[in-house]
Amino acid sequence: MEKNEGLLNKILNGLRDMCYIWAKEMRSTITDEGVLIFFILVPLGYPLLYSWIYNNEVVREVPVAIVDQSHSQTSREFIREVDASPDTKVAYYCNSIEEAKDLIGKQKVHGVLYFPKDFATKLFRSEQAHMSLYCDMSLMLTYKAIYQTAQTVASKINSNIQISKSKDYTNRDDEITTKPLDFVEVPIFNSTGGYGNAIIPGVLILILQQTLMLGIGLGAGTARESNRYKDLVPISRHYIGIFRIVLGKSMCYFMIYSIMAAYITMCVPRFFNYTMLASGIDLVGLMVPFLSSVIFFGMALSCLVRYRENVMLLVIFTSVPLLFMSGISWPQADIPGVWQAISYIFPSTFGIRGFLRISSMGGTLSDIQPEVTALWIQTIVYLFLTCAVYRFQINNTRKHAYDKIENLKKKAIEAKNKNKKTEE
Amino acid sequence: MKNPIYGFCMVIFPIFVVYFFTSLMNNGLPTDMPVGVVDLDNTATTRSMIRHLDAFQTTKVVAEYNNVNEARQAIQENKIYAFLYIPRGTTDGLMTSSQPKISFYYSNVTLVAGSMLFRDLKTISSLGSASVGKTKLSSFGKTDDEIKTFLQPIAIDLHMIGNPWSNYNIYLSTVMVPGILMLFIFLLTPYSIGTELKFKRSKKWFAMAGNNPWIAITGKLLPQFMIFLTIFYIFEFYIYYILGFPHPGGVFTMLLLGFLAVVSAQGFGVFAFGLMPSLRMSMSICSLWAVVSFSTSGATYPAFSMNPIIQELTNLFPLRHYYMIYQINIFNGYPLMDAWFSISALILFALLPIFVMGNIKRAMLLYVYIP
Repeated sequence: MEKNEGLLNKILNGLRDMCYIWAKEMRSTITDEGVLIFFILVPLGYPLLYSWIYNNEVVREVPVAIVDQSHSQTSREFIREVDASPDTKVAYYCNSIEEAKDLIGKQKVHGVLYFPKDFATKLFRSEQAHMSLYCDMSLMLTYKAIYQTAQTVASKINSNIQISKSKDYTNRDDEITTKPLDFVEVPIFNSTGGYGNAIIPGVLILILQQTLMLGIGLGAGTARESNRYKDLVPISRHYIGIFRIVLGKSMCYFMIYSIMAAYITMCVPRFFNYTMLASGIDLVGLMVPFLSSVIFFGMALSCLVRYRENVMLLVIFTSVPLLFMSGISWPQADIPGVWQAISYIFPSTFGIRGFLRISSMGGTLSDIQPEVTALWIQTIVYLFLTCAVYRFQINNTRKHAYDKIENLKKKAIEAKNKNKKTEE
Repeated sequence: MKNPIYGFCMVIFPIFVVYFFTSLMNNGLPTDMPVGVVDLDNTATTRSMIRHLDAFQTTKVVAEYNNVNEARQAIQENKIYAFLYIPRGTTDGLMTSSQPKISFYYSNVTLVAGSMLFRDLKTISSLGSASVGKTKLSSFGKTDDEIKTFLQPIAIDLHMIGNPWSNYNIYLSTVMVPGILMLFIFLLTPYSIGTELKFKRSKKWFAMAGNNPWIAITGKLLPQFMIFLTIFYIFEFYIYYILGFPHPGGVFTMLLLGFLAVVSAQGFGVFAFGLMPSLRMSMSICSLWAVVSFSTSGATYPAFSMNPIIQELTNLFPLRHYYMIYQINIFNGYPLMDAWFSISALILFALLPIFVMGNIKRAMLLYVYIP
């Protein structure tokens, strides 16, 4: 009976200490400017900035230069069609390729369409007519816009030529001649092919992870610097159990970031009209393990931090590699095995993949089961790692405190001895 | 320099980053991306079409599904990026000239995969038409040349200047890696100045320089400059000479650009610290600036497509000018005059500390570090 009460008491005490640590952590978060910037201001402002940058989504009206030495009806028709296409516009007419080349150097145009002198002659002779397209390859999106437009225009004009040459009677005959096998192109997800829609979901999740890690790291750095022995865990009767420290702190981070995650995953896409197909429950199912794994990951790493500013150096440069490792830009299927393996360490890999699939593809929680499972595994592993690390830290603190007391005792004895000697 | 963080941020991490990007995209182009097939017709004609699709370099047919819904689910589960749908009766339709219709579905959620597979799937679908036309025309006794001319009266010769393989490694690594190198310079410059203040060594440091902020700052940043410049040149040597990235611009332009990149980033770092002589604030500003510059450089999503206000703001980011000089002068080999604006902008960034030297001196001699 007595033992039971003892256990109950212990748990109650633990909970009380946990709440104490939680409150203290909350207070230090709000009073520490550095942590405040990365916990509140950056997650609030950065997504808006990024969305603003990418909000135009697609590349339109890419300027193209024309070198038309054919001066024929067909070449002019081609040029008109290119100008009328949504993705390109005819910006300059040049007399030679050299002249057009200079325009690329001055960034006035991103591609050149060249019609040779014999372009129309060959067409009338029923020979294959060749025209050239020169693309500036420093931007993939402009290259894609120009090339696809040129191809579409060419195939349209080609069909007209085919129709004029064949001996069909009806319009239906013409259709079948030019396209015996019809096909439909269906961009099933991200149907506009928008750049923002493709990249922003990943950036949003990465912002969550990186700011959370920065905040935790900065907080830990401050705690260590303001501590007398440069220890992470202060000496206090509230800080005696591992679980109460770890859970108390993580509860504080989790509370703040639940709000941030809701803002970033639900409000920001709505402000800028991004595709957002995820339902509330699926989002909760993904974000809870994601946030907890990031928190414990950050706490485990925060023990490595000696000075608070070092955290910035460590966390910020990893952002870009982490974004690439998630497979958002370079397809996941083509990432080398080594980097795939390394990417499994970071919660963002699974967070971004999962979020993309439920928000942009309308997947459900069961579609992203592997990712959610991985996040839960990470949560558990990093929780234990954090506990182990904190245990080590607590022992350190005790050792330092013990050394200090021993030192004091030694000094006291020496002083006493000295006193005795002087008395003698 | 005893702090191990310097060694990590100046040498080890940069080398890691260079290796990461160049090895990640070593293939140049994504190859063998998984694609599904829904073949309800299942005839010799459609099967040969699928075999042809599989033979494309970028495409690999990994699975057959029984209906469109299953294939869609597979995309959502990240098993495939696209699929080809061939309905029942396609071959019959081709034989009877009733214009059957096939469809292909592709996901643009990963843009690179989407656009590459779109190209393959469109080619295979158009080839379907072409092969019918070819059979028909050759049965009339037309020659191959005539058939070619009839099917494609106008042919486009595509010239991809500088990067004919549309190699993504050449396209991305040349901007992402310098961006991260400049990020390190951005952060380490205020860090190294600010930590003097933090550890209360600033007065001693300035006394050594005879209280002249120019001597003090130059002395402090010169070793860093040498190391960063070396790293930058090693990176350039590695990508241009060992990996053989195109560089018609020549050695001088490369050396100039490397130099400009390092000094402009250092200049910006000193300027940020001079504006706000607090370690934390200046580092926060520099980090936010450096991370945004990957987007505002306009190397992935072109700057001229952004909001007009942002188009102007991009000029405030050194990486934007780095990218302009790189692509105009090194990648395309145009004369330096064509990039005069960006070159002078980088020089301006390097000169920014002039405005804040007095401020830094005051801070170093009077301020106290506030955590």
